[in-house]
Amino acid sequence: MPSADPNLEPPAERRPVKLKLTEVSKIYANASKPIAALQPINAEIRAGEFVVFFGPSGCGKSTLLNLIAGFEEPTEGEITLDGARVEGPHHDRLMLFQEHGLFPWLNVIENVLFGLRRQFRFKPKARREKARQFLQMVHLDQFEKAPIHELSGGMKQRVALARALAPDPKVLLVDEPFPALDALTRTKLYGDLQEIFLRTRKTIILVTHDPREAACLGDRVLVFSGRPGRIKAEIEVNLPRVRDINDSRVADHAKVIMNELEGPTHESPEI
Amino acid sequence: MKVQKSSIKYYVLGFYLLLLAVWQGLFFAQVLPDYLFPSPWQVLRRLWELAADNYLWPSLKATFQRMAIGFSIAAVAGLFIGLLMGMSRVVNSCLRSLFLGLQTLPTAGWVPVSLLLYGLSDRGIYFVIIMSSAPAVAIATSDGVLHIPRIYLQVARTLGTPAYAMPVRIILPASLPSIVTGMKLGWTLAWHGGVSAELIKSTIGLGFLLQMGRELNDAAQVIGIMLLTVIFGVLLDQFVFGLIQKRILLRWGLAQKA
Repeated sequence: MPSADPNLEPPAERRPVKLKLTEVSKIYANASKPIAALQPINAEIRAGEFVVFFGPSGCGKSTLLNLIAGFEEPTEGEITLDGARVEGPHHDRLMLFQEHGLFPWLNVIENVLFGLRRQFRFKPKARREKARQFLQMVHLDQFEKAPIHELSGGMKQRVALARALAPDPKVLLVDEPFPALDALTRTKLYGDLQEIFLRTRKTIILVTHDPREAACLGDRVLVFSGRPGRIKAEIEVNLPRVRDINDSRVADHAKVIMNELEGPTHESPEI
Repeated sequence: MKVQKSSIKYYVLGFYLLLLAVWQGLFFAQVLPDYLFPSPWQVLRRLWELAADNYLWPSLKATFQRMAIGFSIAAVAGLFIGLLMGMSRVVNSCLRSLFLGLQTLPTAGWVPVSLLLYGLSDRGIYFVIIMSSAPAVAIATSDGVLHIPRIYLQVARTLGTPAYAMPVRIILPASLPSIVTGMKLGWTLAWHGGVSAELIKSTIGLGFLLQMGRELNDAAQVIGIMLLTVIFGVLLDQFVFGLIQKRILLRWGLAQKA
């Protein structure tokens, strides 16, 4: 049973490895010359860990997320989930996109139910019950019959979150989820996301180019640098949750993360 | 000049009353003899006579029946072909050029060939209706499919939607705004084609009444039936297809509430 108290969780290093990346690289074949998007990457992500991929645009962090989601294939190397090789998109690795991507022809609860279609072991009534439960988790149970176009941007992103969580994925992949939202809505969503993380202890990977967001959300931040993309540094953030984006300790960690990104590199910098 | 949005409809009403007054004025001025240029009142009276003699109602019914059958076939065929075009680049490239080419043909241009193929039967009228409107529906549908936001397909894939379920669960609903736009245009073209075909091929229908008016040298009937054709065409376009389109655009987030 997932626990609300993070202190009762076994420490990260004793939890089983959920996702394992072995020598994963991605090269895009181009007419003139091949472009290396990702240099071979090795990483382990443990069960119940909240990992952030942080880096500037074009550093390959989104590419890596797409590889994990199965939208693209790595050129070389292997990604395994619970020991099994990842092939193609599957609802055990659900992606929460930048745009909410809610279907306007369905209302709020129908959107959440869409993700539960594949769960044949549940009867329709049980699925609806489950969908309600997740809408409650994102505080939108009052809006289950609302059409999508009547929701605010933050509400839409919360419905998308409920839709992604409802099928109980093994890993939740989050691709820069809140760029188009105002600061107040975003602050609220950071809180919601952490509460949901504490409650479900889902393994989450989130991609961002905002160091504050990285420090606020991640247990561990992998700092990427371009090009070709590679992991430059790894920073643990040991702050109690729920963290506030405006907390000074979060800001301190953001600074460390930023310094790691800008810090000296052993290779000649590309101009 | 700034006009309140709510008062625009009075301006429109005024415009049509003015148009009617000009018509009546030209009639009084006797620019043309009255058997060539009847007054609004004469037109209305002629329509009333046609209705009283039981000419009008059966013809209206016949035209609408033909339109309903012909356009339904055209809509289903156009939708199906459009989906195929949207899902296959090859099919799209081939058929799109063909359909765009065919659309340069005036709808009445299908009448002679339908006479050759079907003689004077009603099947020829269906043929003209279908050939006039199906290409427009197909092109609009394929446009809709080709412009489906990628995010819908990605979300569906990540949520485990199997490929065979995509057309019904995602592709069709996602392209619905385009499809209704195509249906609306297709309806107008079908209406053109249907009435054109009736001019020559029929012994009943709005087109037939038009032609009959010409043969009897009855300008009042010709103008009256033209007016009816416009009015029914507009009513269906605006109040059936227009309202459906408005609702869908709003719901899909493609239009704001007025």
